[in-house]
Amino acid sequence: MNLYEIVFYFFAIVTVGSAAVVVFSRNIIYSAFSLLFTFFGVAGLYVLLNADFLAVTQLLIYVGGILVLLLFGVMLTSNTISVELKTGTLHILPATILVALLVGLLTATFWTADWFMSKRASDIAAQTTSKEIGDALVTTHLLPFEIASIILLVAIVGAAMMARRENPKSQIPI
Amino acid sequence: MDMMEYFSNADLVGSSPILALGTFSLIALLVNSLVKNSQKIVFWVCVAGVVVSLWFAFDNFELNHTAFSDMLLVGGYASFYSILFLVITLFALFLSVPYLEKEEYHLGEYYILIILSTIGMMLMGSAGDLITIFLGIEIMSVAFYVLAGYFRTKLSSNESALKYFLLGAFATGFLLYGIALIYGTTGTTNLIRIAAQYPQAFMDPLHLIGWGLVLIGFSFKVAAVPFHMWVPDVYEGAPTSVTAFMSTGGKAAAFSAFILAFSVPMSMHDPKLTMVIAILAAASMLIGNWFGLSQTNLKRMLAYSSIAHAGYMLIGIASGTQLGQQGITFYLVSYGLTNLGAFGVIAMLEKENGKNLSYEDYAGLARTKPALAALLSMFMFSLTGIPPFAGFVGKYYLFASAVQSNLTWLAILGVITSLFSTYYYLRIVVYMYFREGGEELPPLSRISFATVVLSGIGIVVLGIVPSLILDVLKSMF
Amino acid sequence: MQAYIPIFLMIGVGLFLGITFLTLQRFLGPHRPNPEKLSTYESGMPPVRTARERFSVKYYMVAVLFILFDIEVIFLYPWAVNFRALGVFGYIEMILFILILLIGYIYILKKGALQWD
Repeated sequence: MNLYEIVFYFFAIVTVGSAAVVVFSRNIIYSAFSLLFTFFGVAGLYVLLNADFLAVTQLLIYVGGILVLLLFGVMLTSNTISVELKTGTLHILPATILVALLVGLLTATFWTADWFMSKRASDIAAQTTSKEIGDALVTTHLLPFEIASIILLVAIVGAAMMARRENPKSQIPI
Repeated sequence: MDMMEYFSNADLVGSSPILALGTFSLIALLVNSLVKNSQKIVFWVCVAGVVVSLWFAFDNFELNHTAFSDMLLVGGYASFYSILFLVITLFALFLSVPYLEKEEYHLGEYYILIILSTIGMMLMGSAGDLITIFLGIEIMSVAFYVLAGYFRTKLSSNESALKYFLLGAFATGFLLYGIALIYGTTGTTNLIRIAAQYPQAFMDPLHLIGWGLVLIGFSFKVAAVPFHMWVPDVYEGAPTSVTAFMSTGGKAAAFSAFILAFSVPMSMHDPKLTMVIAILAAASMLIGNWFGLSQTNLKRMLAYSSIAHAGYMLIGIASGTQLGQQGITFYLVSYGLTNLGAFGVIAMLEKENGKNLSYEDYAGLARTKPALAALLSMFMFSLTGIPPFAGFVGKYYLFASAVQSNLTWLAILGVITSLFSTYYYLRIVVYMYFREGGEELPPLSRISFATVVLSGIGIVVLGIVPSLILDVLKSMF
Repeated sequence: MQAYIPIFLMIGVGLFLGITFLTLQRFLGPHRPNPEKLSTYESGMPPVRTARERFSVKYYMVAVLFILFDIEVIFLYPWAVNFRALGVFGYIEMILFILILLIGYIYILKKGALQWD
């Protein structure tokens, strides 16, 4: 086993193990915190795949942002902490068959799929993806890049609308 | 590297309708944040933005190229759909003002979100790339989620927003996963370059699964069975003016992108996909019309009707012919006008807290408000598909396209389900004209009334002289 | 791949140190608890209720805005890596991108979404 494999299995175990805790834990706070390690493990796997930009995104957005929001979501809701989550299994046999079928289907398709491989020498030689993505953002993907800011703007306005102070008749929103 | 090869004047001209509307939405947002009680100003800024954008869209109509490295289509199809979305937006804006004032819930953000969602629609209707489609869908949907929950003190409005958001986000996940798989097997997200790999890419099951997932995402957005569960609750709970906009603009945008992704640039006639779409169409027509029969609330009835109409329009996609695509486009124009009118009437008659929405409440309307009753009857006739209204012409073309591509069973099913639908569309007419009842109603807003009359005139004119639109469509496809 | 070896080593060392110290203190340190020592604020007020209360929705605003601007940073990152090569054109594009979000920021500031009274 070389270093690459050791690192891979380390991250794989972290990801799968913590994901299992997320699913099986009966305390929603534990689930949320365990998700931290899942995201972290996935980020590690991205690094192993040479997808450094994805790894940074994973850490910044998911670990740094989404998870915080998730915890806020838990804390904003009353009664979730004392509630015992229902994680028991209901229909073991149909569930097992369904999951087995799904796993089989996914594995088979991924195995037989004819993945697109880039033939450009610069793509193969590339050690990092961030630079390539930066180039693409301001050249070929200029429009989606600028449009992304519009999406964020809609989300900002939307969030402010949803969390506004309720006093519509005074005509001073928020 | 030379940046200028990726950006030229042609790009600027090609995206001018979107850029104009975007600029005006930013101005409106600034006005809204810097000036107190600026609802009226914001409204007029938004209207001005739509008008300017309309002008640019008309100006671009003759062009035929792509912009921003094939991300955006320019002219023809894209311009036609941009004009359609902008006209729908204009109608929706004018319908909204009296409604919001009546409900005493008038914020400038409402109009800003409406035109922001229009930007999303225009991106979808002129997308040359799956990424553009995705971004357009996201802009439109996020704005819709917020608009559906606009009445924050009302439980039904909140329920509507939450249901729409949760299911919509889930559907977007499917769409994005599908796009990822398509990219993984072809190495591109550009529709024309994906089409160039037809049919060998389709030998790969993964590629097919990718399109299947994209199909699920689109089916959700056009409200086709079995991805229709959100429609009744969302349409019922959202403010009526928002429902009017969602059911017309949102559906038109989803179908415009649907056509782009599944037929126009790639002329794909993959038999497996066609069969799946045909089954979706059949299920939507059957279930939408079936549940429509038992509704007592007008907004809910129109929600099921919207599912059924998604089914009729899917026939055009399943046929995969130019006739089918022209049929969908014509249908969207007529459906847009009809539904805006119908929801406009409902919004005018609605009372506080979602009262006055059931069939019984419309009893005797022909006596108290004869003009409104006549208009609503016209809209119902058009939805049923009775000549001389526009709905008939649209259905005719869709069914003809089905026959042309050997899907006659689908056309027959369409005719039979249309007969079903006559019952619930005409029931409201019966209530209005042949039942006693109804108290005197307060005077109605003139702006709303003018808008509704305008859409009424539209469906009659298009029903009698369909060539007005059809000639344009024939030159487009 | 080779460039990441120091990072993996850091993770390894960090994990090792953390785990060893936590295990060692259990065996080496004295462990004589009493109720006074175990209370939440040892020499402060006795806690009345549980600390897990429902939070105000204002916190949610902060968290959502944090994520939105976090995503903005993600877009800045690949551009910054290649800042010089992308030149004035890339700079203008980035300015435009930030300007649009700035208008959103002005909106939330003026509407008082971040006000805490």
